Amino acid sequence: MPPRLDLNPVPQFSDADGALLGFALGAETAAHSLYESAAASTVGAGETGPALALMRDHHRAYVQALNGLYGEGAPTDRSAAVVAAFASRVTDPADALLALRELENVLAATHTALVGRLESVDAAALVASIVTTEARHAAVLAGLANAGLDAALDASAEPLAP
Amino acid sequence: MTISRRDLLRLGALSLGTGGVLAACGPQAGVEESPNVPSLGVAPTTTALPPAEVTDAVLLRTAASLEYLAIDAYDAALDLGVLVGPYAGVAALARRFRDDHRGHADAVNALVKGLGAEPFECANTRLTESYLAPALALITADETADPAAEVALLAHALEQLATQTYQGVVAALGDPALRAAALRIGADESRHAALLARAISPALETIGTTLDPGTGKPRLAAVPAAFGSLSALQVTLGRDDAGAGTTLALDTPSLNSLAYAFVACA
Repeated sequence: MPPRLDLNPVPQFSDADGALLGFALGAETAAHSLYESAAASTVGAGETGPALALMRDHHRAYVQALNGLYGEGAPTDRSAAVVAAFASRVTDPADALLALRELENVLAATHTALVGRLESVDAAALVASIVTTEARHAAVLAGLANAGLDAALDASAEPLAP
Repeated sequence: MTISRRDLLRLGALSLGTGGVLAACGPQAGVEESPNVPSLGVAPTTTALPPAEVTDAVLLRTAASLEYLAIDAYDAALDLGVLVGPYAGVAALARRFRDDHRGHADAVNALVKGLGAEPFECANTRLTESYLAPALALITADETADPAAEVALLAHALEQLATQTYQGVVAALGDPALRAAALRIGADESRHAALLARAISPALETIGTTLDPGTGKPRLAAVPAAFGSLSALQVTLGRDDAGAGTTLALDTPSLNSLAYAFVACA
C-alpha cells in the first residue's frame, strides 16, 4: 500500500498568533466598511473624496493580505467595537476627517501592540508594513482637516485590546 | 673517497649560500622584530578582527546612529538659511522633526542600555559619508537652481529611510517587545515623511501616486503605496535650471554600516 499523503495544511503560526491576526483582520474589515460608508456619503463627494477612496482601498488590501496570511478559516466578522466607535462620525461632513484620523491612529496603535506579541516574524513584518502606512493616513487626514502639526504627529492613541 | 679541489670549492659555495638563506629566515641580531617584516619560514602573528555579531543591541545602536544622522541633516539644512519665504513651512517642520529625532535617539538608546550595551550617540559615519555629505554638496553647488526645494527633498528622503529602517528591523529583532518599540518610532518617521511630502506637493491629487504629465515620472506622494516599502530610495539633487541633476540611491543600513559593538563615536 503506498504511503498516504498528509494533506492537512501545516499551520504557519501558533494558535496565539492566529488569534492576534484574526483580531487585526476584524479591525481592518471594520475600517474598510467605515471608509465605504464615508465614501458613499456626502463626505465622499467632497474634494477629499479621492483621498478617502485611496485609503479605503488600502484597508481593503490589508484585509486581503491578512486573510491570505491567516489562510483557511480566517474570520470575516467586522470588529463591532471599531464600528460602534466611529460609524456615526464618519458620515458627518463636519467630523469625518477627524474621526477617520482617530481611526487610523487607533489602528496603528493596535497593530503596533500586536507586533509586540506576535511570535511569527512573517506576520509581524506584514503588520509593520501596514502600521507605517496607517500612520501616514493619519498625518494626511489631520492636514486635510486643518487640525495642525501637533494633531498630525499625535501618536498617543490607545490600542484596542484583543 | 677522494675530494678534488673543484669539489671543495663547490662545497664551500653551497655552505655559504645555505648560511645566507638561513640568516634571512631567522631573526637577525640588531633588527627589531615586527609582524610587518615577515621572515621566510616564520608565520607572522596576526590580529583577529573583532567579532561582528548582529544582535538586537547592534540593530538598535544603528537606528540611533540614523537618528543622529537626521539631526545633523536638519541642523545643516537650517544653517543654510534657504528655508525662507514659501519654504518657511518646511523650516517649521524641520525644527520640529529635528527635536523629534533627538527624542527618538534618546528612546532608542534607552532600549540599547536596557540590553546592557553601550548607547550610540553620533551619526552613522558610513551613511554620513555615502549619503549626507554628497547630498549637501549637491544642494550647495553653484549650479543648483533651487536649494530650498532640494533641502525639502533630502529631508523627505531621510525620513523615508528612517521609516524603512525601523520597519525593516521588525523582522530582524529577536524580541517582540523591541519590535513594537522600534515600530512605534518608525510610525513617527512615517508621519514626518508624509507631512514633508504634503509640504512639497500640496495638491490633493498627489496624496496617492501620480505621474508628472511633463516628465512621465512619479510625483512625490504622501501615501505612495498601501504597504510600507523596503526598497531602495532615489533622490535627485543638484538640479540646474534645465532640471538636470544627480540621482543618489539611499538604502537602509546594511552589514557594512551597522553600529557593531566595537564601533565607537570619534
